[in-house]
Amino acid sequence: MLEEKNNLKAWLYLSPALVLLAVFTFYPLFNAFYLVFLKDFNYLLREFDGYTLLGNFSYVVRNPNFKQAMINTFFIVFVSVPVSVMIALFVSVALNSIKKLQGFFQTIYFLPYVTNAIAVGMAFAFIFHQDYGLINTFLGWFNVNPINWVGTGASWGNAMFSLLVYTIWGGLAFKIMIFLSGLQSIDKQYYDAARVDSTPRRRVFTKITVPLLSPMILYIVITSFIGAFKAYATVVGMFGVGLGPAGNPKSMITMVALVYDALEHTGSIGAISEAAAASIILFSITLLFTIIQMWVSKKRVHY
Amino acid sequence: MENSIKIDKVSRRNKIIAKVFVYFFLVLFAVIILIPFYWMVLTSVKSMQDLTVTPPILFLPFDRWRLDNFQSALNAAPYLIFMRNTVIVSFLSTVGTIFTTIFAAFAFSRLNFKGRDTLFMILLSSMMIPGEMFVITNFITVSDLGWLGSNNVSQTYGDALKALSLPFMTSIFYIFFLRQTFRQIPNELYYAAKVDGTSDFKYLWRIMVPIAKPTIITIIILNAMGTWNAYIWPNLVTDNVNFRLVTNGLRTAYNQLSGQVIYNEQMAAALIVTLPLLIVFFLLKKYIMRGVSRSGIKG
Amino acid sequence: MEIKLQNLTKVFQAKDKTETIAVNSLDITIPAGKLIGLLGPSGCGKSTTLYMIAGLLKPTEGKIFFGDEDVTEKAPEDRGIGLVFQNYALYPHMTVRQNIMFPLENLKVPKAEAMVRAQEMADLVGIGELMDRKPKQLSGGQQQRVAIARALVKKPRVLLLDEPLSNLDARLRLQTREEIKRIQRETGITTIFVTHDQEEAMSISDEIVLMEVGFKRQVGIPQDVYDMPENLFSAKFLGTPPINLFEGSIKEGKVTLFGGVIEKTKAKDIESCWIGIRPEGFLVDKEGPLELHIDMVETIGRDTSLVIKDEKNNTRSFRVIVDSSNRILPGDKVKFSVKPSKLFLFDKVTGEKLG
Repeated sequence: MLEEKNNLKAWLYLSPALVLLAVFTFYPLFNAFYLVFLKDFNYLLREFDGYTLLGNFSYVVRNPNFKQAMINTFFIVFVSVPVSVMIALFVSVALNSIKKLQGFFQTIYFLPYVTNAIAVGMAFAFIFHQDYGLINTFLGWFNVNPINWVGTGASWGNAMFSLLVYTIWGGLAFKIMIFLSGLQSIDKQYYDAARVDSTPRRRVFTKITVPLLSPMILYIVITSFIGAFKAYATVVGMFGVGLGPAGNPKSMITMVALVYDALEHTGSIGAISEAAAASIILFSITLLFTIIQMWVSKKRVHY
Repeated sequence: MENSIKIDKVSRRNKIIAKVFVYFFLVLFAVIILIPFYWMVLTSVKSMQDLTVTPPILFLPFDRWRLDNFQSALNAAPYLIFMRNTVIVSFLSTVGTIFTTIFAAFAFSRLNFKGRDTLFMILLSSMMIPGEMFVITNFITVSDLGWLGSNNVSQTYGDALKALSLPFMTSIFYIFFLRQTFRQIPNELYYAAKVDGTSDFKYLWRIMVPIAKPTIITIIILNAMGTWNAYIWPNLVTDNVNFRLVTNGLRTAYNQLSGQVIYNEQMAAALIVTLPLLIVFFLLKKYIMRGVSRSGIKG
Repeated sequence: MEIKLQNLTKVFQAKDKTETIAVNSLDITIPAGKLIGLLGPSGCGKSTTLYMIAGLLKPTEGKIFFGDEDVTEKAPEDRGIGLVFQNYALYPHMTVRQNIMFPLENLKVPKAEAMVRAQEMADLVGIGELMDRKPKQLSGGQQQRVAIARALVKKPRVLLLDEPLSNLDARLRLQTREEIKRIQRETGITTIFVTHDQEEAMSISDEIVLMEVGFKRQVGIPQDVYDMPENLFSAKFLGTPPINLFEGSIKEGKVTLFGGVIEKTKAKDIESCWIGIRPEGFLVDKEGPLELHIDMVETIGRDTSLVIKDEKNNTRSFRVIVDSSNRILPGDKVKFSVKPSKLFLFDKVTGEKLG
């Protein structure tokens, strides 16, 4: 009957999903922690030379690209997330304040979500083209000389700026969507009460909207941080597998790229373990940030 | 009295100014969002002559639009084959995902079994782990299964399809998402069905699945879109150009680091890849936007 | 079909292993062809009892008989029951017709026959013209009828209704409860329904079963239970406005309240007991033993409701209903006698009736 446990039946229903998850999610998870302790693992022959505690981690850290990857990733995370969250917040508040054409604007703002990161990355690369790009044309109207954003030999700063613009553009759709649905669920009576008290607009925003939206903001910030730490397809879209402007390859390398770089050379000894070490470092950093944010938000989020 | 009318007039004028400002801001923002698409389309129809002009032409009269860039893009790489591959892989992984998800979500929402909550918590917390940790071992797994080909045997099409779709035939997130929908179905419906002698299996397919149809459609669309946009995994497990999916096919077709990049052809190719996605979006806008806003899915 | 519950007990175990006894050794016999109301406050175990009869919950102890057949271990679908839920539980994606036909599908009734039976049942409950609508397009009352039709279409031996009227507005409730009564009479099916609303239970039940915290408190014809409450709970639960309770005593066979002897009784002397008097149990009587100080007067049509402060306890007041032909004003002192049939004595500890 109803409250009876249906153990056998339940596991039967779960089995297709669980078998796939066991093979492609849980086993790989544990295996990553195994691979990382193998010394000089030869993937092709499946041989290794004993175990090492930190050897593979130190390989990753000593990798000439590691420092660059850390710098780039942190730059992307700490610039693109706050900027795009702020923009998304303002846009969704503005969007929520109108009635006419709201659906129309919402649809347009959602477009970046459904597009292909590689294809649009290519478009952005061309927007930042030195001679035929839109950005330099625009700057030309203000008598700014053409800047080499992403072309051959472009500087780190210029390339990073272009990448950030693309990253922020790409991340807005999802955030606006979530904020807007959050705003629409806020009870109108708070705003009516504020109007009765003739509260100025800015105070309404900071004292009512933001606090009531804070669970959504927290959710967005956490997911965006995790997402930004995993930046990769955007870089490939804009700069190709060279991960940087021509003449300056790997200058836009990210943490995730370290993992895939190692996987590209599975033939070389230790590469797999190095990839595992890089992925564990990535995981640890995202986990740490998530925990910190949860901890901070406990005091700041109003439910 | 006089005064209050005056204040009223002033405040109404301020309101109108504010409204105008808001709409101006929203239009400006819409333009910013649309620029990359516009630039992609504009570039893809420019002839070489129109392309290599400084400053670039921002508005191209229709009579100067060239469609031959699309022809040369299709000649440069087999996009139709990429699309066929993508459609097949989407279909396989979506069918797999739907079945595994429906069954698992049913077990989690409707059946009582030992360890249900513990198992669910384990699944939920594993959603936090970055996929990069799985990719390494999954790569080894599909290679051990012989699906990547070996030194003397090259990868077959069937192997490639398996390697591309099998790891994506289930998703913890979709299980969670569908379970939420299933749980909103009142228990009484289940009791009523039980009193009438309906089996669990029949109840699932005749009652729960039809009621959860909008969510299931959302899952189907998002999953298919995910395949269309997949880059990393297809790039790892396919070598043969004919086995590629659209996204990695596009990237490998235009991967020159330097030298002469043919931008108009490249943008035509990018448009070929982007357009089907946009068409699907406009046709099924309702399901996609509602699904995303309700669940906060990052595709 | 007579239904017999024997020592029926249900114990729920929470995650932390604490146990709650939802239904406690229930012994009830429900006569065939009658409409029985299971009545009690929320949490009294009435729905649990209904679900055990339906087979959706398994009794911890005890047995359930349908006629001579022990159905305790039987699956819901093998018991031959129809169940109507509080929220109707109609399948939202199916039309009315598909909803009503769904139970027949499981019984493998041929489609043509199922169509005919569904139509018959829909006509019986008066929704014959709404067969192609979806539940969402129907009013609450219509949905209720569809649910009843769906429950009846497989010709069950017993019809079970869980709070059938509580989701309807007041006017529909009145109409629907007559409808349920009519359908039950026409089909002659043994029907049990659960409700927390005494008026609902009193108005349509042939018999009511009064429950509290898992125990059966009283069984009987509604008016009998009202007129002859066997215990304090029965007396308190039935009646609007509720019965007035006073602390009093019995001395030498006399019941004393506020210093006046209001009634003689055969009950043994007791220092302190509950005296329950229904609001309509007071009679304006110049010779009466009770002199009361009227606080407030509300005249509503036929009746006048008097609010009177309890002399012993100033924070409490009680209510008396008298015929509105009595002209009484606030502040008046009025003498009353008490109708013996409206006065009940209860033990302070056990709540059992005295005398």
